[in-house]
Amino acid sequence: MKNKRMNRRTVLKGAGATAIGLPLLEEMFLTPALGCHSSDGGVPVRAFNVFFGLGIPAPLQSEGFAGVLEPLEPLRKKLLIMRDVDQVRCDESGINAHFDGASGAFTAQPPNGDAKSGGPSIDQVIRRNHYVNGLPKGVVPTLVAGTFFRRSRISRYVHSYNPDGTVAARMQEQPRDVFDRVFGALSLSGGDKDLREKRLRRSVLDSVVDQYQFYTGNQSPLGARSKARVADHLDRIREFEQRAFSLERGNQGGPGLPPRSALAHGGQADPAGQGIDMPLEALRKEWRLMADLYALAIELDRVRFGSLTFLAAGERLRITGDYFYKGEKRFQFDDARQLKASGDKGCSHEWWHQFHPKKKNLALRAHAHMKMQEVAYFLNRLDKTREANGRTILENSLITVSTESGDGRHSNVKRELSGVFHAISGANGRFKTGEIMDVKREGIDVYNTMLSAMGVQARLGDSDREFLSVDSIRS
Amino acid sequence: MRIFPWINIQFWLVWPTVVLALCFALHGQQRVNSGVQVLYRFQSENNGVLDLAQVGRPLHLKIEGRANVHKRNGAIEFLGKSMVRSPGRSLKIHLASTWTNELTVEAWIEPSNATQNGPARVVSFSRDGSQRNFTLGQDGNRYDFRLRTTTTSDNGIPSVSTPVNTARPDLTHVVYTRDQAGIARVFLNGRKVVEENVTGDFSNWDPNFRLVIGNEHSGDRVWLGKIYLVAIYNRSLHPPEIRQNFIAGKNPRVVQEIDAQQKENQFTQQIAPLLTRHCLECHDSINRKGELDMTTLAGLLSGGESGTALVAGNPQESLIWTSVDSGEMPHQRPPLDLVEKKALRDWIAAGAQWPIKKIDPAIFLRARKVDNRLVRRLTVDEYISAVQVAVGRDIGSEAKKLFPEDLRTDGFNNTAYNLGVDLKHVQAYARLAELITDKLSIAELRSNYLTEEDFNEASLEKLIRKMGKWILRGPLNEAEVQSFLRIGETLRSAGGSFDEATRFILEAMLQSPRFIYLIERHRGDGTTWPIGPFELANRISFILWGSPPDAELFDLAASGELLEKGVLQREVERMLADHRVRKRSKQFIHQWLNLDRLTNLRPNAEKFPKWNNRLADDMRRETLLFFEEVVWNQQRPIAELFDSPFTFLNRRLAEHYRIEGVEGLPREELIKVRLQPQSRRSGILTQGSVLTAGGDEASMVSRGLFVLHDVLRGIVKDPPPCVDTTPVATRSGLTQRAIALERIGNANCGGCHRKFEPLAFGLEKFDGLGRFHDQDEHGNSLREDGQILFPGDSAAIKFRTSNELMKLLADRSRARETVAWKLTQFSLGRPLGSADAEVLETIIDAANKNGFTYQAILKAIIQSELVQTIRTEPYPNELKK
Repeated sequence: MKNKRMNRRTVLKGAGATAIGLPLLEEMFLTPALGCHSSDGGVPVRAFNVFFGLGIPAPLQSEGFAGVLEPLEPLRKKLLIMRDVDQVRCDESGINAHFDGASGAFTAQPPNGDAKSGGPSIDQVIRRNHYVNGLPKGVVPTLVAGTFFRRSRISRYVHSYNPDGTVAARMQEQPRDVFDRVFGALSLSGGDKDLREKRLRRSVLDSVVDQYQFYTGNQSPLGARSKARVADHLDRIREFEQRAFSLERGNQGGPGLPPRSALAHGGQADPAGQGIDMPLEALRKEWRLMADLYALAIELDRVRFGSLTFLAAGERLRITGDYFYKGEKRFQFDDARQLKASGDKGCSHEWWHQFHPKKKNLALRAHAHMKMQEVAYFLNRLDKTREANGRTILENSLITVSTESGDGRHSNVKRELSGVFHAISGANGRFKTGEIMDVKREGIDVYNTMLSAMGVQARLGDSDREFLSVDSIRS
Repeated sequence: MRIFPWINIQFWLVWPTVVLALCFALHGQQRVNSGVQVLYRFQSENNGVLDLAQVGRPLHLKIEGRANVHKRNGAIEFLGKSMVRSPGRSLKIHLASTWTNELTVEAWIEPSNATQNGPARVVSFSRDGSQRNFTLGQDGNRYDFRLRTTTTSDNGIPSVSTPVNTARPDLTHVVYTRDQAGIARVFLNGRKVVEENVTGDFSNWDPNFRLVIGNEHSGDRVWLGKIYLVAIYNRSLHPPEIRQNFIAGKNPRVVQEIDAQQKENQFTQQIAPLLTRHCLECHDSINRKGELDMTTLAGLLSGGESGTALVAGNPQESLIWTSVDSGEMPHQRPPLDLVEKKALRDWIAAGAQWPIKKIDPAIFLRARKVDNRLVRRLTVDEYISAVQVAVGRDIGSEAKKLFPEDLRTDGFNNTAYNLGVDLKHVQAYARLAELITDKLSIAELRSNYLTEEDFNEASLEKLIRKMGKWILRGPLNEAEVQSFLRIGETLRSAGGSFDEATRFILEAMLQSPRFIYLIERHRGDGTTWPIGPFELANRISFILWGSPPDAELFDLAASGELLEKGVLQREVERMLADHRVRKRSKQFIHQWLNLDRLTNLRPNAEKFPKWNNRLADDMRRETLLFFEEVVWNQQRPIAELFDSPFTFLNRRLAEHYRIEGVEGLPREELIKVRLQPQSRRSGILTQGSVLTAGGDEASMVSRGLFVLHDVLRGIVKDPPPCVDTTPVATRSGLTQRAIALERIGNANCGGCHRKFEPLAFGLEKFDGLGRFHDQDEHGNSLREDGQILFPGDSAAIKFRTSNELMKLLADRSRARETVAWKLTQFSLGRPLGSADAEVLETIIDAANKNGFTYQAILKAIIQSELVQTIRTEPYPNELKK
């Protein structure tokens, strides 16, 4: 496959005769992150969580860029790679090690239900602190997207959480979903409306807004959490209102939808936990389109917070195909054959279970390397656009790359899944970059230090826990 | 303490933790308790008047001008200028009534004369002589009632008065009621004497007013006479209830008892989780280290090798305290923190209340808080049903195309915390509202609510109130009415028709939070309140049918009769006989057993070349038909889901299962088939829909965990670190059982694996797709004997065949109790927490007494406090008090 970066027009090219179109494309190109609301050096505060499944065993991390982290090497000056971040606070008896560990990523808390984290994720804490009155018009409050297949529990693949632990936004799992969510204009009834009907329909929406405001206001009979839930609904209505009325324009000759996904989604993607066959090319094609769209949404300042997932925690895929890096064939994936098994036992997941520091772990290395290459693809994408302060989006944003913390316990090579891994970008000069650091501190302290550096007073975890700043990561 | 210095200080110390429960009875006749907010009697001699209503934070009153007041013979007599009033604002009454827009004020009184006027205040919720929320007064020989609404004055004018010569110096039972429809009635001695319209709602009530009896706050509206009883309800009592209270009399017998709720809560919320976390790892019924079983009170009292572990009331004589205090226990584990230690010591000192039979670690190991007040969005199925009930149209196919799927969370797809909304939902609600109205004859729809055809403001408001009440499943508040009226105004200014206005208003209603969510009152004073009639109607309707109330249930809610226990029981019986309850119950088993999994089953084609999707569909239908037969057609005890000698088969499924002796089955249709013991099949665990949970390899781990978690409500910890959890493949000489036994024998794994893998031993002869075979693919002989260790038991029970295992599951209580837990979770739309355990015990007891059928469980759930009450959330200003 050619790793050609997709042009935004290429992505969006094609006629769209459906209700979904791209509103005001040119206007959007003129009002992107380059000149938008700024609180620091002409760029907005942004935070995104990038997740990949299964982790990287600690001994492989110790090899640095000479090992599976090689694809991150070109970005080394723009990243702080943190090893030995201890997710001890996720160390509670849970339902499933992958699930528990994935819930701890970006929250440093054990899960509190199938689809609930134990607390907010760092991106959402920052969002609420920096945008107390909501995000500017036209900006999607939170975008949660990803290319993944294992879905037995939602925390395996959603990585952005509200303060009450519920998911911050619904997962968009196909490129077309992301397109709809971010760029789609809405038509109220699929046809053109005359002014009179528009006015009447507007009055309906006004009435609906009134009612949601009543149930979020002082006279509401609802409790605080319920009001927050209804307020979230009201936010979606306002977005809808803006799309349906303010941005309703023609889309003749404009760009259209991305192609339909060729991969399995929904329940078919996770047949009873038995795994699915996955050609590498197909996987990368979909992921890169997803990453392109997500990056485009950031570039156009349509998104400032959220998460992007490349493969779920405990993902079960039987991957096949030749793996190339920089034109050089590095490995031939053929999990089922190489594992001499079918079903779940024939999935790449098993390489992690079979990891041993004294073995070569060739297959695991190839898989982890491939994941780093794909994570790097997205990061590179963000590194192409310079903003008003002369830095790239990657440099200006807080991009936190993490993974499931394996069994939710310490980074200990003797343990089966010791793959806690973190890399963060500089967040406009707030954090050190250009280092691989053995942090040797608890994840919650690392995350809280990140929040502190982002100018956020709120902290993750119990309120009575002493904040132990990890100053070594700050610039 | 400063507020009530005349009452013994110890009483006030105890009051927050001890609730006085008063039950009234006279000649066997109970007073109506549902909806009562405050209740006053005047028995004691002191200067306080206690609120006996048992609802919310008690609103006690203080006598002022004591010299002019006598309290004797169960009455308070006002002889001159004096009053009895609340020391602060009466927020409880305000909150309760402004939510329902209904009110009943009841008093047993004996006026001194028929000439006092002003009106002289009997009961007033007011500030002064001209500002009130309501007042019951006497104006000469008439009783006069003033009520503030959005259509009356701040002084409650115009008032409602009884006819002349109805206020006499005789003992009289006076009751004023006002319902949501705006009908005000006054009853004297059980008979209605006046009925008038008092429209509007209570949204303009002032929350800062205080309650006063016998005078106005200004002190210049003295009422003279005796008062025996005053009660205020947040609903309009209907005539039979008023007669009931009249018959109960002015001096109902009082039985006083101490309610230990607070202590019980302390146990379930603090002590049981604490013991589970710190003690039961060693001292449960299985391990019993030191011969001590701490899962039961009896175990603690009888003690272990070191003697009695607990002496109620005496921490220093209780080993469980002294060993913790000294640091001896927990042995080689982290000590209890200071808060936990204090809780343990205080609990023992207070008498070691133990309100449950046994500590079940499955409940208390992770004692997470579960918010029972999170508003729940309707699922896609419920939305479709709600549209059907609201306007009689099926929007199913369109809705399923437009809505994102509701994801299964914590076992069910109606789990409130995961029912958020995305932009697609909002778009779908708007689009569907248009599609729904497109399907309707608007004029015909309007005629259901309105006879007038004139398009004017009055008719529009009438339509909005009537149509909105039905569509939105309860009366509208004024803000909602005004909001919908604005659409009509826009239409009228745009030259629109009544049909257009009706259509757009309906579209707005279909997008209202009242339609999309199950909206309930959460705000109160932080205590537990009974829910209102419309809330109750909606709860039971969505529990039983997954849809809104029908007209009959709705009318009972509107009249308030639904709150009567007998009426509720009859209504639940009626609803259980309706076909909708079957559909809902199938959603329950579908989600509980995760039957959607079958749709996505992709077994290895080399190993299972004959597999096809029709078999998956057959398996799903088999389980649903079997469930319907046991639960509805035969109405058998729920335990028979696990052991019944029949199933439903067609030729394809019977051949796949390798069941012999069932020739002549239809090709597609599944019919009831009696199973012979040699088939080894009996109940849901031997059906393909469940057996496939083990994957292609018929994993003992997967199947065992399914039985442990979903059938026996058991728990195990995660696999320990550094263990290779790669599934081991079978081969010649190595069966799944042999692999399992190896794990069980392993020191690192056996402690947990012995709790669940043997649960699958009885299923060993069923392969990954549920086919029966005596030998596996390698020619290894398979077995079906084993032993089962029920969670909480100390000894395993042996079984020889899978049939015996199924019989054990059906005979022992654990599996059927798990169904009750699962069904309760499904009914509430939220995971259950340890705080729910006690109520679950009452549900299980009640179901047990009625045959433990599916119906019995549902009835017990509906009668439980989980459905009948809500723990309110205090207003911020209440929190500060």
